[in-house]
Amino acid sequence: MTCMSVTEQLLRALPEGFVITGDENTRPFECDGLSVYRQKPLAVALPENIDQIKQVLKICKANNTPVVTRGAGTGLSGGATPLEQSVVLGLSKLKKIKSIDTDKRLAVVEPGVTNLAISEAVAEFGLYYAPDPSSQIACSIGGNVAENSGGVHCLKYGLTVHNIESVTILTIDGETLTLSRQDEGLGLLALMNGSEGLLGVIVEITVKLTPTPQLARVVMAAYDSVRECANAVADIIKAGIIPAGLEMMDKFAIEAAEGFAQVGYPLDAEALLLCEVDGTEAQVQAELDQVLEVLSGASSLKVSNNEAERLALWKGRKSAFPAVGRLAPDYYCMDGTIPRRHLADMLEKINELSKQYKLRVANVFHAGDGNLHPLILYDANIPGEIERTEEFGTKILKLSVDMGGTITGEHGVGIEKLNAMCHQFNTKELEIFHKIKAVFDPESLLNPGKAVPELHRCAELGAMHVHHGELPHPELERF
Amino acid sequence: MSERIEQLQAMIKQADSLHLCTEMLDYSGIIEYYPEELVMTAKAGTSIAEIQATLAENNQALAFFTEDQAESIGAAYANGGQDLSDYVLGIKIIDGNGELLNFGGQVMKNVAGYDVSRLLVGSKGQLALVTQISFKVLPKSYIAKLTAPIKSTASSGLRQKIEQKLKQVFDPRGVFN
Repeated sequence: MTCMSVTEQLLRALPEGFVITGDENTRPFECDGLSVYRQKPLAVALPENIDQIKQVLKICKANNTPVVTRGAGTGLSGGATPLEQSVVLGLSKLKKIKSIDTDKRLAVVEPGVTNLAISEAVAEFGLYYAPDPSSQIACSIGGNVAENSGGVHCLKYGLTVHNIESVTILTIDGETLTLSRQDEGLGLLALMNGSEGLLGVIVEITVKLTPTPQLARVVMAAYDSVRECANAVADIIKAGIIPAGLEMMDKFAIEAAEGFAQVGYPLDAEALLLCEVDGTEAQVQAELDQVLEVLSGASSLKVSNNEAERLALWKGRKSAFPAVGRLAPDYYCMDGTIPRRHLADMLEKINELSKQYKLRVANVFHAGDGNLHPLILYDANIPGEIERTEEFGTKILKLSVDMGGTITGEHGVGIEKLNAMCHQFNTKELEIFHKIKAVFDPESLLNPGKAVPELHRCAELGAMHVHHGELPHPELERF
Repeated sequence: MSERIEQLQAMIKQADSLHLCTEMLDYSGIIEYYPEELVMTAKAGTSIAEIQATLAENNQALAFFTEDQAESIGAAYANGGQDLSDYVLGIKIIDGNGELLNFGGQVMKNVAGYDVSRLLVGSKGQLALVTQISFKVLPKSYIAKLTAPIKSTASSGLRQKIEQKLKQVFDPRGVFN
């Protein structure tokens, strides 16, 4: 037994076809949605039930082999990028919706169920699962919990963590642990949300379901300046309205989206705001009246009059990423979040940096949450361009931290933002994170090296923790 | 960093055993409140009554259940359940080694690092001294009727083991009890 390789042991333990090996066959698993980073694993195990997952964990633990749990592989930070000599534990076969309780508005699902499939399954009861990451057609609910995914509508309906009733995880030892919202004691359920596969393997999830709003309407407001548009975002919230969605795009993003989707976005605008209100007909009308009053300074206003118009207005926004992607060989998507009041300053700063680095940037983002997604366009084939892009990106993330925000609002740290973590947290805070992992996974076999940087990495970077913008030696250029 | 925080750090570093009650810390007051951000940051000793009064000036309120208006936000946090946790955005704590640490922040969406600011909700002051808390607030018209959260006391052996180990992470010397 001991002289069999991990792969051989997996092949023996699982039914035929459930373990993928070999250079060619494992290629589809060598990266997630962040395809810059690629690494082939030893093997990919695709179990279809909890007993088989336990087998995989047992074999990996016995052989001291790292396990990278993978949902649909749509993540944007490299959280599911395989490690050298690791086994990828793919949960895509666990896609049963086990039960739906319409009275309690709960559904029990397996981790491989796609986000959208939940909403589709409960639509006949007038319910849906509220968090809606852009990749919802493909991304899995297990991955959503692991990343604490957001989406366009989390301004009003919350993030994944707010919409999960309970999760059942397997520890690296194969023990079962169910964590629920009702539990007395520490917030272990919240801890599991966004833990990026480092603490346990999520094998079952109970999600909260939300009644489908009777009506939703979207207002499109065009502005002649980015600052006016950004201020309008704060004004809406200040007026006491929480829109279902509040999204902003800059001129470059508008042009790209319109060129791609042809939905009638005003090409002469400097910035565009999409504000959705939902609820009963009376609620929608009341909020709409208020929103239109707040946005009366816009250079043009358009309100959707039916569902087709509403979806058309969103179509441009939802296709903004691929639309921008057509304009350059590569793009780098950032995910910093800042307090809303700094939106205009941040956008101006990004604009300045864009000129300085001679790299174009399109801004498409969840303005209501202050969650920015600047897309930096570059060409990896031009020598030095990747490095310039990363340096530019690092500056944006540092600015986000300085403004009281965070380096990642919804995409996660993965491997992509390990360096940026050194700016947001000091050594003592990072140590706490490492110790939390060790409580669950003392041998560090679950997705090791992701999400939290090793302390020596931060030291080597020469990174200094920035507190409230007080940089030591601000006169020095960094990196 | 305030003088009071430094005193508390020094006290924790020297102590073998402490039972700290946020109301008695002489550390209260609202640090930051931006109505248009729907975010407030308050020192742990700030009373719920003071917080609600300030929020009410802007037609906003706490979106989680609170019973005793004289209680501090720190006490509500220490005894809180999931409904409070849903609105927590960030905390500052002094751990059992006397280190001042910052987790989470003032923004709604934040997935950098483990969610320590929600992990410690309901920790009853056993893991660390929470000195300040940032939380999301809502316009009054968006808050449904609030009721006390239902808590289940059933706890598995594995859960208890994990909670004990997590205490050691934050309070290795066992100062807080």
